[in-house]
Amino acid sequence: MLSPERMARALIVGPREKLESVIGTLHDMKLIHLVDHEGEDDTFGIGKPLPPAAELSDSLLKLRSIANILAVKAPPKEIEAVRLDQLRERILSLELGITDEDAARKKAESLLGDLDRRIEELEPFAALGLPLSAYRGYETVAVVVGRVAREISEVDLGDVPAEIFQASGIVAVFTTKDSLDRLLHVLGQFGFAQIDIPAGEADPKELLDAALADREKWRTRLEEFRGRLETLREKYAAFVVAAEELLEVEVDKAEAPLRFAVSDHTFVIDGWVPEKRFHAIAFPLEAEGMYVESEHSQAEHEEPDPPVLLRNPKPAKPFEFLIHLYSTPSYRELDPTLFLFIAAPFFFGFMVGDVGYGALFMALGAFAIAKLKPTSIWFRLFFVTAVGGLWSVLLGLLVFGEAFGLPFHPAPGHLEELSWERFGIFVPMQAVIHKAFGIGDMIYLSILFAAFHLGFGYVFGFVNEMRHNKKYALAKLGWLACLFGLFTLLTFSLAIRPSPNRIALWVWDTPLGWFPRAIQVELSAFVGLKIPLASLILIFGAFLGLTESIIAPIEIASLLANVMSYARLAGIGIGKAAIAAAFNAAILEGFVLSGQIVLIIVGIVFLVLAQVLVFFLGWISAGIQALRLNYVEAFLKFYKGNGTPFRPFGARGTQEV
Amino acid sequence: MADPLAAMAAALSIAGTGIATAWAQKVVGGATVGAMAEKPELFGRGLVLMALPETIVVFGLVLGLQLLSKVAGP
Repeated sequence: MLSPERMARALIVGPREKLESVIGTLHDMKLIHLVDHEGEDDTFGIGKPLPPAAELSDSLLKLRSIANILAVKAPPKEIEAVRLDQLRERILSLELGITDEDAARKKAESLLGDLDRRIEELEPFAALGLPLSAYRGYETVAVVVGRVAREISEVDLGDVPAEIFQASGIVAVFTTKDSLDRLLHVLGQFGFAQIDIPAGEADPKELLDAALADREKWRTRLEEFRGRLETLREKYAAFVVAAEELLEVEVDKAEAPLRFAVSDHTFVIDGWVPEKRFHAIAFPLEAEGMYVESEHSQAEHEEPDPPVLLRNPKPAKPFEFLIHLYSTPSYRELDPTLFLFIAAPFFFGFMVGDVGYGALFMALGAFAIAKLKPTSIWFRLFFVTAVGGLWSVLLGLLVFGEAFGLPFHPAPGHLEELSWERFGIFVPMQAVIHKAFGIGDMIYLSILFAAFHLGFGYVFGFVNEMRHNKKYALAKLGWLACLFGLFTLLTFSLAIRPSPNRIALWVWDTPLGWFPRAIQVELSAFVGLKIPLASLILIFGAFLGLTESIIAPIEIASLLANVMSYARLAGIGIGKAAIAAAFNAAILEGFVLSGQIVLIIVGIVFLVLAQVLVFFLGWISAGIQALRLNYVEAFLKFYKGNGTPFRPFGARGTQEV
Repeated sequence: MADPLAAMAAALSIAGTGIATAWAQKVVGGATVGAMAEKPELFGRGLVLMALPETIVVFGLVLGLQLLSKVAGP
C-alpha cells in the first residue's frame, strides 16, 4: 500500500524465427515494461523492424492525413470491424477519392482569399468613380490616393496646387510632381494613409462587380466541396477510427524489435514485470520454447530504478493521478497516495464545512460512479471531490452546524442571526464551533492539523531516509522534535493567555498533560511571555538537521512559516462561510422574507445563483488550497518523486495490469 | 471601537500582503505557464512555486486577525 508494486527484471531469450509470435504474446499480455537495448557489440545489435513495418507505417501516415482532412475527432458511436488484409487497399482508394476533393477545396479557398483582397483593393476606387486609366500616365501631374479621417477641401491644402476627388473616407488628390512632397506633408496632418492604385485601365466599378460575382460563384462551389467532404466523413469516420486503432497496434508490434537485442540467430528482450505476475508471463513463453530468466531487483544504486506501478486500495486509487501530477514516486520511496487520500479531503472538508455543499459534492461523486468511466479524468476529479464532500458533511453536521451557509441555530448571544430555525427547521445538532464567532478556535485547529500533517510528513521522511542515508534520517527526527517544540510553544502561549483559547487549553491540560512545564524561560523582551524550557530544547532539535545541511538551523523560521501557512484552513473556512452568509442575509431578508409574491420569486432566483457561485468558489479555492498544503508544505518534507511510471508493452494510454 | 488605528492596521496588513501575493503570483505564474508550454511535466513543480507566495497573504490574515482581536478586546 505504502510502497509501489515490487518489480522483477525479466530476460526473455529465444530463437529469432519465433520473434514475431513472442511479440504478439507479450503485446496481448500487457505485463512487461520494456527496457530499450542500447549499443551494439559483435554478437548483439539493435533489432530491425519486422518486414511489414514500412508498409504499415505508410498506411498509418496516409490514414492520419485522411483523418485530418475529414476532421475526424471524437470516436463515432459504432466502431466498424476492420480486417488487416483489406486495410491497405481501402486506405489507398479512400485517399484517392479524398485527395481530389481536398485539392479542389483548397484551390477554392485560396481563390476566395485572392478575390477578397481584390475586392478590398477595388472598393475605394469604385466609390471615387474615376476610371483607373485616370490615375496614371501623366508627365507633370502626380496622383495620391488614400484614407483620411475627415473630409478635406482645397482650402485645407493651403498654397499647394491640387484638385481633390473624394468619397466617404477616401480621397484622391491630383497635384504637380514638384509639389508632391509638400502635399504629402500637409495631408499627413489629416491622418492620411496612402493606398496603392490597382493595375488596369477599366472602370473600377465594373471590375468590382465582376469580382463580387466571381466571389459568389466560388463560395457556392466551396460549400459544395465542403458538403461532399462532410458526406465522406459521415460515411468513413467509423472506418478511419477503427483502422487507426488497429494500425497503431500493428505498427507498435512491428517496430518492437528496435528495442530488443538481436543477433544472427537469437533475440533478447529485457524488461520489468510485476513480481507477482512473473509466472503469468514466464509459463506461456516457456511453453513456446523460450528461455525466461528472472532477476529480482536489488537495491543497487548503479542499476537504473525499476518502473513504478502504484498499488492502493480501491477508494484511494483515483487519488493516484494527483500524485503523478506532482511527480511519480521513485521505486525506493513510500508512495504518498494514502497520505494525500487522508489529508487532502479532510482539509477540503474542513474548509467547506457545510452539510449542504458537502452533499452536493457527494452527489457529483455518485454521478461519476454511475455514469463515467473510471479511467476518465472527470471521474477521478469528481471522486476526489466527493471524498472531500463526505468530510464536509461530517464536519458540517457535527462541528459547524451549518447547511448552505445558513447555521442550524443562531449563535449564542446573536439571536438576530438568520438560521434554519426561521424556516421552521430544527436540526437536533448544536454547533461546536460557530464559524463567524469562533475565529480563535479555527486558527488553533489549523495549528493542530499542521502539527499532525507535517509530523506525519517527517515520519515518512524518516522511513524514506532510513533506507538511504542514516544521517539524513536523524535530521528528519530532529525536525520532528523541532516541530513538536513549536507546537507545544504555540499551544502553551494560547492556553495561558488571560482569555485562553478553549481548545488550546484542553490540549495543553489533557493530551499534553505529561509535557514538562515546570521550568519556564523568560523571553519577555522577545515575545513578551515565558516559554517552557522543554519546548525550547525540542526546537533546538533542528540542529540535528546539520547532518543534512549547514543552513538547517535557519530553516526553523521556515518551519514556523509552514505551520502558520495552515491558517489558510481557518481563513478560507471563515471566508467562504462569510460570503455565503452575506448573500443569504441580503437575499433572504431583502426578498424572500418580504412577503410579496414577486419579490419572493425574484429572491429565489437570486438565491440559487448566489448559492451556485459560492459552491463553485468553495470547490475551486478549497480544492486548490487542500492540494497545495500537501504539495508544498508536506511533500517537501519527505517526497522526492522522479520515478518512471510503469508502461507495459501493448497498453495504450493509462497504466493497466 | 476600541482602537481605530488597530482596525486600520488590520485592513492595511491584508491589503498590502494581498497585493504582494498577487504581484508575486503574476510573475511566477507567467513564467510557469511559459515553462509548462515547453515541458508539461513541470506542472507539479510549477504549482508549488505558484503557491509559495500565497503564504504572504496568509501571514497578513493572521496578523489582521491578531490586530482585530485587539480591537474587539481580549
